[in-house]
Parts: sequence; C-alpha cells; structure tokens
Amino acid sequence: MAESKLQKLYLGFYDWLDERTGVKEITREALDEPIRGGARWAYVFGSVLLFLFAIQVVTGIVLSLYYAPTADHAHVSVSYIQKAVTGGWLLRGLHHYGATAMVIVAVAHLAQTFLFGAYKKKRELLWGAGVLMLLIILGFSFTGYLLPWDQAAYFGTKVGTSIAGEIPVVGSVQQRVMLGGSDMTTVTLSRFFTTHVFLLPLALAGLVGLHLYLFRRATPAGPFHNRDDKKIERFYPKQAFKDSIAILICFVVLVAMAKYYPAELGPVADPTSDYLARPPWYFMPLFQLLKYSPGKWAIVPTVILPAVLFGTLFLLPFFDRREERNPLKRPLATALLVLVIGGSIGLIFLAKYQDRNNPEFAEKLKRQDEEMRAYFDKPFEPQVIGGASSLANGGKPAEPPKAYAENCGVCHGDNAEGNPIAPTLIGVAGKPQRSKEDLLKIIDNPKAYGLKDMPDTLSKIPPEDKQKIVEWLLTLKAQ
Amino acid sequence: MATEHDHDGAPAPERRSFLGVISGLIVAGISTVLGVTIGRYSISPAFSTSNEQEWTDLGSLGEFAEGKLVKKNVIVSQDAGWGKFQSQRSVWIVRNGESVKVFSGVCPHLGCSVNTRADKFVCACHGSEWNVEGSTVAGPTPRGLDTLEFRVEDGKLKIKYQDFKQGLTSKEVLS
Repeated sequence: MAESKLQKLYLGFYDWLDERTGVKEITREALDEPIRGGARWAYVFGSVLLFLFAIQVVTGIVLSLYYAPTADHAHVSVSYIQKAVTGGWLLRGLHHYGATAMVIVAVAHLAQTFLFGAYKKKRELLWGAGVLMLLIILGFSFTGYLLPWDQAAYFGTKVGTSIAGEIPVVGSVQQRVMLGGSDMTTVTLSRFFTTHVFLLPLALAGLVGLHLYLFRRATPAGPFHNRDDKKIERFYPKQAFKDSIAILICFVVLVAMAKYYPAELGPVADPTSDYLARPPWYFMPLFQLLKYSPGKWAIVPTVILPAVLFGTLFLLPFFDRREERNPLKRPLATALLVLVIGGSIGLIFLAKYQDRNNPEFAEKLKRQDEEMRAYFDKPFEPQVIGGASSLANGGKPAEPPKAYAENCGVCHGDNAEGNPIAPTLIGVAGKPQRSKEDLLKIIDNPKAYGLKDMPDTLSKIPPEDKQKIVEWLLTLKAQ
Repeated sequence: MATEHDHDGAPAPERRSFLGVISGLIVAGISTVLGVTIGRYSISPAFSTSNEQEWTDLGSLGEFAEGKLVKKNVIVSQDAGWGKFQSQRSVWIVRNGESVKVFSGVCPHLGCSVNTRADKFVCACHGSEWNVEGSTVAGPTPRGLDTLEFRVEDGKLKIKYQDFKQGLTSKEVLS
C-alpha cells in the first residue's frame, strides 16, 4: 500500500535523522516530562509566557525592519508601520499588547507558584531566576515605551529618568548614563533602543534557558497537598493541550485588542508643550504612592518599596523553609500576596479616580486624548528628507509674513515658538479643530473657540493678510 | 529496550492522540497567521514605492552653449518607506541649434556615473564610451546612453527624470 510505503520512508528518514541528531531523545525529553498529580489549567502560565516571549521576539524583529531609532525619524517610522504598511497595525498591536500581556501573565505565573508554595526547597534558584525575569520584563516596558517618540513616550520617559535621578548618591550619575547626557536627545533614544533590542533580549533568553533547565531538573512541584502524588501524567498530550488552548486564547485576545483598540500613537514629541504625563497602568501603583511622598520621601515608593518587594521575593525561599505548601495553612504568605496584588490594583483605580475627579486634569487628559485620536486618524504622511525646500532655504522654515510679525509675534514669539503668555503655533495645524478654516475663524473670533486670552482686534486684519498668516502657520511642522 | 521506557519506569505514551492533533492545529494556525502577515508586511512595501518625477526646469535653452556637453543636477524624489527622499542626480545636455538631447548620467551597463572626456561620454568603471549622439563607441555597455524626455516652454528647458533598468539591450523604465 502506498500509505505503508510512505510511512516506511518517513520512519526510515526519522531513524536516519535520529542517528545523527538524537531527535528521539530530545522529543521524549520535551514531551514526556512527568507531571505529578496530573495536568492542570493552573500550570499553563509558564508556557503562555514562553509563547508571549516568542511573539515579542518575532514581532520586534519585523518592527525593526521599518523602525528608525533616531529622534528625527522614530515617530514617522512608527506612524508608517501603524498606518501604511500591510499588516503593520497587527504586528505593532501584537507587540504593544503582548508587552502588557507579559506583565500580567508573569504576575499570574508568580502568584500561582507562590500560592502553590512551589518556590520551596530545591527550587530556590528556579524561583530566583523567575523573579529576575519579571524585573527584566519591566525593563523591557520602560525602554520600549520611549521608542515611538510621541508625546506620551517622551514625557513618560522624562518622568521615569527623573525618578532614577532622584535616587540618593548614585542618582545623578545614573540619570546621565541613562540619558547619555543631561537631556533627552536622540542619543537617549539610541541607548534605550540598544538596551531594548540587544541587551535585555539576551539577558531574558539566557534566564529563560536557565529557568527551563532548573525546572526540568527540579521537576514540576505538583499540587500543594500530597493526595494525588501517586498519579503521574506526561506533559504530552494533556498538559500540552491545556497549554495550547491557553496560548490560543491569549493570541485571539491580542489580535482582537490590536484590531478594536489599535496600539496608540500620538503626535510627535514636543518638548515645549505642557503635556501631562501618565505612566502605563502597571507603573501606576508607584505613581500613586509618589503623590503621598513629598520631598525626600519620594525615595520610599521609587526605590525602597520596589527594592524591598523584589528583595523579599528573591530571598523568599531562603527564609520560608517550612515544608507546608497549602496556601490556606500559610496565612501570612497568602495574606501578603493578596495585599500586594489587591493593593496595587486599588492604587491603579485610585489614580484613575483622582484624575477623573480633578476637573483640571480630567480636562487636560481629555484634550490630550483628542489630540492623540486626531493625529492617529490622519492618513500617513511621509517625511521629506533632504528636500528641495531645505536645499533652497538651508533647512529653515519660511520667514513669517509681515502681518504675523505685527499682529501675532508679540505673544506667540517671532517664529511662533511660543512665549510664557501664549503657546507655540508650530505644528498647530496637526491639532484637532485647527484646520485652515478653523484657524481663519479663530483670528476672526477667538472666543468662539474658547480662546479667552486672544485679543478681539485681530478680526480687523485685512483678509489677504489673514490668509498669509494662516498659510504660513500651516507650513510650520513640528520637527 | 531502554528507549521505550524513561527513568520513571512509566511506559512511553502513545504519540497519536486527539488532544495532540488539536494542539498541533493550534500551533500551525497561529504560525500561519503570523507567517502570512509577516510575509506581506515585509514584501509589499518593496512594490509600492514610487519614483514618478515631475517636470524639472533646467533654465533657458539659450544658456546651453552650442555643441558642448553640459552637466546639470536635478532633484529627484523617491517615495520609500516612511520618507520622501530627495536627492540629486546628474543629467547631460547637448544642444545643436534647435536640436536638443538630454542624457541620463547613469551608465546603462551597471549603474556607475557617466562623465566626459574631450567630446565623448565615458564611464570610468568599465571603460564604456559614447559619442555626443549617445551611441556606443567602445566598452561593455549593452546600449547607448539613455535619453530623457524633455520639452521647451517659453524658451526654458524642462526635463522629466527617470531611471532605467541596467544590463539590457533595450531601454526599459524602472518603476
């Protein structure tokens, strides 16, 4: 029969391959791992994390195909990926939400291991490697957040590096090293990029290898009571199936998020704006605690608390040496876990609640969100490089018209760069409700747009001068 | 046989199972979605670039000396990825009375820059030579110099820059 012939051929090839590679042994090692007490849904988190790491690596590599890690081009290149390249929105969305998912699943994995007491005896190093990996995942979030170089990225990282700078003794040196100077520049972006795509992935891949090796060596801990200890199931097929289902759910959720809540991208970073920075949700608990820590107390949430938390986690198996693994019989440990996770969630909601109930912040955050959406919905516009205009004019924007200098420059600055009394007009055309028609109407009647501080006398400017002013404003693009 | 049992003494489980097939399908499905997306993402932009150029003004026709080989630089714009990259390209103009020829400064052989020596066009890379008409005189070039479209409006010479495929005996636009 043809089938048996084919089968023979396949088995022959498999033997041939096995003689040279030991593939049978490897497959057996991978699939026949004994699981004490049998397969469980509680054990899926590790595999899901490994899957998420693979997703981050794959999508990260392809994102770097079009991403340009310099302050001049980072934002437009991310915009290109998000808005113009076929499937770019999906790959960026997977990377964006995959990062968030990694934090969530890593915490779930840690909580499960903690609750099941699976960090105890013989598994100290396995656990320690896991805690280090959680730190590295947070490092990924911090460095990746800057890369799109939009408003949120720029100001979020500015706050983040300033926090690092407030640490006593080492702070200022540390901040300078992080920034690559005294301020956030394209050099900062290069450093974050290098850390994000070379250093951290190498570190994480190494720790994943160590973690898996130590895990296989220690064998799975099994359930926290000893009733089912006799029952042993292989990883394949039952646990492999449960892991695959969890991975599928995770993937479907990521794709749905990328589709229905596309990864955000706001206008390009404008260091002169008064952007209200808010951290991503998983840094929010520290952000909230920072509000209660004036002056030199800031070090408590920024350094001491995280250090104590991670130090305790790391050293946990060394001072918790009792054999008991049942979470109900370890009330202190269980209570601590509930307190830390519950407290963090509480702080996140408190931070959101306070922002919503502070009219000034709520208004500002709402406007920032509108600006983000307005930019996001605009079609992609390529950046002109080495253009004819810059050749003609030495790269500088066109000179302002006389009517601008006479009527607007006093408050908005000679080159629209802004003053303490009035904001910059550079890039104004990219903001919501600031189309050409809007700008003309604003000159006629600023009050109609809620701009109470602008003088009414502007309506007296001759129409052709108004046109000149607005046309010039439209040429001013944020760099 | 030792290979049929592992160190726990339990028999090696049956590899074929319904759950195993489902797991395999899930892995294959996710890989396919990612693979197809990444393939299209990586390849499609390479085919959506455009280098359609606009008419460029090279100045008054009268300024080009009779019978001389004159080099002019034009700015060309290439849409590629996130940028509109503008850069300069050289073209050669030969005027004989009302008759004008505009040559691309790119060698049709392998894309080096064409220059002049005495009354000839030469490419230093591989020694191709052309006369003022753009016809091949010597060297490995597969065809004469590529001519560019031009028109004269109000006494001004305007050209449309284009790139052509190299290494072919006939001139084909690179789009």
